[in-house]
Order: sequence, then C-alpha cells, then structure tokens
Amino acid sequence: MAVWNLIIGNPLLNVLIALSYLLGGSFGLAIIVLTVIIRLVSWPLTKRQLKSTKAMQEMQPKIQELQKKYGRNQQKLQQEMMKLYREAGVNPLGCLWPMLVQFPIWIALYQAIMKALATTPENLLDLAQRLYSWNVVSQAIPLNSHFLWLDLGEPGDIVLAIIVGGTMWVQQKMTQAPAVDPRQESTSRMMLLMMPLMFGFLTFMFPSGLALYWAVSNIIGIVTQYFVTGGWGYLKISSPFRTAPVKGK
Amino acid sequence: MKQPKLLSLIAIALLSLVLVSCGFSGRAAVSGGWAGTAFVDGIIYAGSRDGRVMAINASSKDIQWYYATDAPVYTTPIVDGDLVYVGTYSGRVYALTISRGIERWIYPRAGSIGAIVGRLVVANSTMYVSSSDGRVYALDMTYGDLRWKSEPLADKLWTSPVIQGDTLYVSTLDGNIYALSVETGELLDWFFESEAGFASSPVIYGETLFLGSFDRRLNAIEIGSDVPAWKFPREGPAGNWFWAPPVVHRGIVYAGCLDGKLYAIEAQTGAELWVFDAGKPIVSSPVLLGELLIVIDESGVVYVFDLLAGSGDRAVLLRTIPIGAGVRSSFSAHNGLVYVRGENNSVYVVDIDQGEVVEGWPVSLAIEK
Repeated sequence: MAVWNLIIGNPLLNVLIALSYLLGGSFGLAIIVLTVIIRLVSWPLTKRQLKSTKAMQEMQPKIQELQKKYGRNQQKLQQEMMKLYREAGVNPLGCLWPMLVQFPIWIALYQAIMKALATTPENLLDLAQRLYSWNVVSQAIPLNSHFLWLDLGEPGDIVLAIIVGGTMWVQQKMTQAPAVDPRQESTSRMMLLMMPLMFGFLTFMFPSGLALYWAVSNIIGIVTQYFVTGGWGYLKISSPFRTAPVKGK
Repeated sequence: MKQPKLLSLIAIALLSLVLVSCGFSGRAAVSGGWAGTAFVDGIIYAGSRDGRVMAINASSKDIQWYYATDAPVYTTPIVDGDLVYVGTYSGRVYALTISRGIERWIYPRAGSIGAIVGRLVVANSTMYVSSSDGRVYALDMTYGDLRWKSEPLADKLWTSPVIQGDTLYVSTLDGNIYALSVETGELLDWFFESEAGFASSPVIYGETLFLGSFDRRLNAIEIGSDVPAWKFPREGPAGNWFWAPPVVHRGIVYAGCLDGKLYAIEAQTGAELWVFDAGKPIVSSPVLLGELLIVIDESGVVYVFDLLAGSGDRAVLLRTIPIGAGVRSSFSAHNGLVYVRGENNSVYVVDIDQGEVVEGWPVSLAIEK
C-alpha cells in the first residue's frame, strides 16, 4: 500500500488538490479537469481500445452470418469466429487490455477524491500524512466541497444518478453489437442495463465527487468514441420488426 | 465458455475490484472519535470508540457506569459540579450525572445540531460548543437551555473556542478567526483573515492567540491586529501541520507537530529555542504537570520533559515510556500519573516517576452487549 501511495496515490491526490486551488478553489472543476487530463494521458490506450472496438463492429455482419450458419454447433461457431478474428488481425479481448491497464489510475483517482474531501476528522488528519509541502496544496486545504447543486462529500441525488446511469448506457450502447443468438442477446441486454443501473445506484451510496468523475468520464468516452469510430455506433432506435443485417461488407 | 459470458464475468470482476478499492479508503473509514480522558476526584472519564462515555474508578479499575450515546465522541468529557458533559458526532450535547451516568439533559432535545468535534468549553456557568453547522452555541449548564447561537461562521467548525474576559475566539478551517461576545454571541469588530486555513484550535496567552495552520506553520496573532506577530518556522514550512493546540508556559510555546517534532518557541519573538524529534506525528496537545511537560506521540510513546532542569535554552528529557497503543486523543495528568486513552479503546495509566504503565492497566472500554 505504501508503494501504491508513493507512486500513484499521493501524486494524484496532490495534483487534484493543487488543481482545485488553481481553479479558484472549485473542487468540482478540479475533478473535471483531472478526469480530462487522465483521459488525455491514457489516450494512446483508449485509441487502441476504440480501434479494436471499431474493428469488432465492422466484423459484426460476418460474425452474425457465422452465428446464423453455425448457431446450432457452438464448437464449430467458436472455431470459425476465431479464424475470422485471426484473419482480420483482431484480438476479441484486445479491447479489454487497455481498460485493465487504466484501472490502477481510475482506482487511484477514486481514492484521491475521497481522501481529498476529508469528510471526517480522521480523514483530515490522515490527509496530512499524504500531502506535499507545495504552497498551492497548503492554500487549498480545506477543500470547498460544494459544486453546482452538489455537496461532493455527500452521496449524490437522483439527478446525478440519472446522468451517471444515462451516460453509461449511451456509451455502452454505442459499442454493443446486437446478437443473433437469443441467449447472447439476453446476456448483452442484461449487461447493457446492469452496469448503468449499478452505477446509478452507487451514486446514492458514494460521495457525489466520485459520481461526478463517472459522469464526466462517460461523457468524454462518448465524445471520443463518436469521433474515433465515426458516429453513434449501435446507438440506434431499433425496431422489433427489423432484423439485423446479415450481409458482409 | 462463450465469449459474452466471459466478457460479462471480466467486467463484473473489474467492477468489483474498483468498488473494493474504493471501499478501502473511502466511506469505509468510519469515524471512531478520539475522546480523551478527564480525571476528577479519583474517577477517570473517557469516551470509547463506539460512542460510550465511561466512568472508571482509578483505584479499583472498575467501570462504575457507562452511557451509550448515539454516535462517536470526539470531545473529551468535561466535569463541572455533579455533571459530566460530552458532545457527539451526531450533533448532540449530553449532560450526565457523575455518580451514575444518568442523563440530566440533552441539547437539542429533539433533532440535532451539526457534528461536534471541537472540545467543549466552560466559562461562567455556560457551555460553549462549536458545531459542524458552522455555529457556536452557548448552553445553560444546569438545564441545557440555549442561551444564544452565533450566525454561521464557516462551512463547518471542527475547532474549539477559547475565551478571555467577555470575548470568545474561534478559528475556522478556512482560515478565519472570529471574536464573539460571550454574553450575546454577536460578532465583535475584530476579525482575522489568514491566507491558509487553521488546522488547530487557538490557545490564548496574554493578548496573543497561538494556533497552527495548513501551510505548516504555527501562528502568533495579537488580538486586534490584522497581520500575524510571527509565523514559525520563519524560513520555510515545518514538516507538517501543527494539528494540536500548543501549550504556553513561562513565555515559551511548546508545540507538537505532525512532522514528529516538539518545538519550543519564544512566545514573544517566535524564535526557536529547541526542538525534540520524537520521530512519530504528535497529534495530542502536550500537558503540563507542574514543571514537567508530558508529550505523547501517535505511536503511544510518552515523553516527560523537565522544563527547569536544563541550562535555560533546553529542557531535559527525563523519561520515555511506551504504552503499546497508538494515541490520538487528548490526555490528562494528575499527581504524577498520566491518564491516556489508546486507539485500541483501552485506558492506560502511566506512572511518570516509575517510568511505566501502572500494573493492572490498561482497562478495556469495550463492553459486551
């Protein structure tokens, strides 16, 4: 834990607090700006992830064709799909690795937000051991936890929960291809709903500073996805009477 | 395994990882309070980590009574007459009888004010309470009636006020010092604004307030002035915050710092006289016992200094006594004994002359439900 704090936790915490001072004492703005900075720093990874996602999207018609053709023979279907991935030079789990690499940063940011807010006297005392002796850090303490209608140290409200859940749903929907196999379709639907609902629910439990981070991160994700993949992806109002396209490119 | 299922499992596992990580350092850090000890007439009064107030017989080590409040207790119990007073993190002040721990009154009788973290202060039969709702409250000590409450002074008040004459002074985390009338709670003319927030409650000595700030300095502020008389250290900041209010004695300020050092500073000039490095953060205020200065660091080592035995520019360290538990709360000293509540929820009695924890102590404050 000490190494974690030394390398990631404390630097991020101090940068967040310093940003708060530089942005006129607004901790909410500091969270937004730091989220943007982190997304910029991790841009090469995000780009790789999005490219991988885009490649997967482009392969969907072929995959759906295979699913139709070998739907009853799962083993054969898997073999054919792996062959297709190999030929296209795509790793189906490739979009996950960049996400995995980014997780430590996200975790450190979560921790930094909660530490910096120092909602209890113990938190404030513990904060002392993690701060650098920078002037901007000293001047920023204690942080102003009010931002817009939110108290960033208190659990979020219904409006924030809807923003968090809604933006997460949009981001996921943009990348989630419709499946032909009804079982896969139900799994996809479940995932598409479960994560936004879970994070919306968590907004009521965690300090709204965290939920603000989730919301901003989702919005940045939507915007970058829009520009990198060139559109809204699978975010279309689908008619129950319309079947998914089966033709290849 | 089918790919969507695998992806779902990975996503859920990653989400769990994030949530667990958040839980480790976020709201999972539940407040336990750091109520210290008060020693009066052979009885030690202490607050436990689960919000109880205890009366322990110092001779028999028996817990005579306990009273369960509804929240963690940060305020050290204050005994006055036949009542003992504590404030809770839920924003209520309790007055209990010292004989049996029966509640005499609770303020407010319904609902609560903001969380009470700063020490309660007693003067002229009135109790002064600073609250996390940013106000100072003055309560009648016999009946718990509200005499006055100030206007909101800050986002929250976690420091305790100090009183001199008919004026109450209170510092705020955002770097202000307010002067209030003790009679009416009205703001008086003098007001001090600092660039850095104040980490500690003020201590008053003569016409000067001494308190630590988040810029890692100890400030001396003369009442009526709008600039500090001095800031310590003069060159560059200390290693950390002066969290605990200092002690001033014979014109010397003794200030424990979270950088693990005890500084002796000339009150008049802010010149450093000597410094002692305990190596661990000093969270609790030092306590004077005659001409002995008792300091306890966060790791629970008690240091006893003789303030007169040195050559004048340095105190002599008489004893170093480890008690074996962390200490963050204030402590009391009486008749050669120091009464400390450890972070492990036990009370220790340290014999300064013998240089050890008295046999038979600690006494656990944990009560089987």
